Amino acid sequence: MSEALLLGLTQLLMLITLASSWNLISGVAGCVDFGHAVFFGVGAYAMGILTTRTPLGFAPGLGFWPALLAAVLASAAYARLLGRLTLRLQGPYFSIAMLGALVATKELVRLARPWTGGGSGLDLPPVLDRAGDLAFMAGLCGGWLGALALLRRSELGLTLLALREDETGAQMRGIDTAAQKTAALVISASVTGAVGAFWAWQTTTLDPDTAFLDSRTLDMALCCLLGGLGTFWGPPLGAALLFGLRELLWSRFLDLHLLLQGGLLMGLVLLLPDGILGRRPR
Amino acid sequence: MQIFQALLGGLLQGGFYGIMALGFSLSWGVLGVINLAHGSLVLLGGYLAWSLFRGLGLDPFLGCLLTGPALFGAGCLLQRLLLRHLIDRPHLQALLATFGLNSFLASLLKLIYKADPRNIPLAYNQPIELGGLSIPRVRLMVFLIALALGLALHLLLRRTGMGRSIRAVAQNRNAARLLGIDVQKVYLWTMGLSAGLAGMAGALLAPLHPLHPFLGAAYTLKAFAITVIGGMGSIPGALLGGLALGLIENLAAALIPGVGANVGVASSFAALLLVLAWKGRGNLRAPPADPV
Repeated sequence: MSEALLLGLTQLLMLITLASSWNLISGVAGCVDFGHAVFFGVGAYAMGILTTRTPLGFAPGLGFWPALLAAVLASAAYARLLGRLTLRLQGPYFSIAMLGALVATKELVRLARPWTGGGSGLDLPPVLDRAGDLAFMAGLCGGWLGALALLRRSELGLTLLALREDETGAQMRGIDTAAQKTAALVISASVTGAVGAFWAWQTTTLDPDTAFLDSRTLDMALCCLLGGLGTFWGPPLGAALLFGLRELLWSRFLDLHLLLQGGLLMGLVLLLPDGILGRRPR
Repeated sequence: MQIFQALLGGLLQGGFYGIMALGFSLSWGVLGVINLAHGSLVLLGGYLAWSLFRGLGLDPFLGCLLTGPALFGAGCLLQRLLLRHLIDRPHLQALLATFGLNSFLASLLKLIYKADPRNIPLAYNQPIELGGLSIPRVRLMVFLIALALGLALHLLLRRTGMGRSIRAVAQNRNAARLLGIDVQKVYLWTMGLSAGLAGMAGALLAPLHPLHPFLGAAYTLKAFAITVIGGMGSIPGALLGGLALGLIENLAAALIPGVGANVGVASSFAALLLVLAWKGRGNLRAPPADPV
């Protein structure tokens, strides 16, 4: 396979994994998370710091796998912390508090110059292995979709569906809804963080604006809405369609990329709010 | 003395925040729609004022009299094309749609004005020295305009027929409909007023801070924090909340070393979480307060 094809497939798998992880907290659990890209950034920075810099006076210089593990743990821990603060809030308050968490974290990363390199960011050791990258993402994406399929039938998955439909009712049946939602956020953030860490390794350079890119949340939301929010196959389908649209049409109008995506999201909400696979009557 | 200077700077900064939050709070209180594109509407007003300044040499304090009506029209358009269809659907959908609109507007601004920071330098912006404090003249003017706009909105909502209709719809839209109020028209006016206030706020922002196409989300977050602090749909709430946020930001910048003005959103985020924790969880089901 050519380099470009390998890179393209890797990007498609990243988009599918990100969309499916956003779908768990936003679609299945019903807590629409506008700041989910923050966990991508945390994973990316954990990978960056552990493989290059000398944080806190020691030089870890870790390899890919230990740094990946640490990045996943860092994203999960950050989700736990944020979840404690934000998941008590209802509906839109949660959504906007998470958007605030994204912008605030970006500011703090920019300020923590000794660890994060501030606005100029970090450079990772360059490793060029496009086939290896694709194999890793295929494993992560496949593993995550498999786990998600099991999760949806598990007690946690069913509880999340129940509390999405009727949170008060779920509480009255003795479900600790805050704990269940936190679990969903932590799982979802771990996967997003893993993709972020891989992205940092593959891109070999990161700064606050690229690692905490606001429009990454838009990508995830768009894939889920296109395919069907809360469905299993919706996000992968939406990701594939969005990726195809980008490659075929929008690559010629790079400047219009975000404009078209924003417009598409508005159009979808207006005309096809349940997506292609969604059939849940509202 | 430095702390007094920071307090004064915060209060005056709060004037701009107040105008921005007035519009945000109005559409949230009446339509029940949290407009995530509000910050981008503010920037749109700011860039319009910048164009008027560069093209015609129009002072932004006069320019805001044009950007306000221009954005009033944009708000009506937004209501007709988008929000009208979403008001009776689950909250989530209006959030998602305005989130998309925010990206749309940001990239539109970037296409037209490029990503370079733009600001309006004003020749008369020397500070007034008073008892050891220096009062930035432009900020003081913006502060006074914020008070005037708050008063004007108060009079509009209290003394005019449309204002009474807006308040009636905010209190109970079904009862208002039964009494023969044209609810769609009220929504149209409310979105127009909300966006018009954003347009005026933008024109007044341009001489204070450099404009950048992607700052919309940060301003929306600040408007949200102010509205939560001050109470949704309340005019004094929006103005006082704006002052509170201005004070918090300036004190954080003055007291925490090495921070400077870079924690704009981080401090409003912290304030938002504290207020929400203190008030209990955000509850949209509670009836909106009567817009005073």
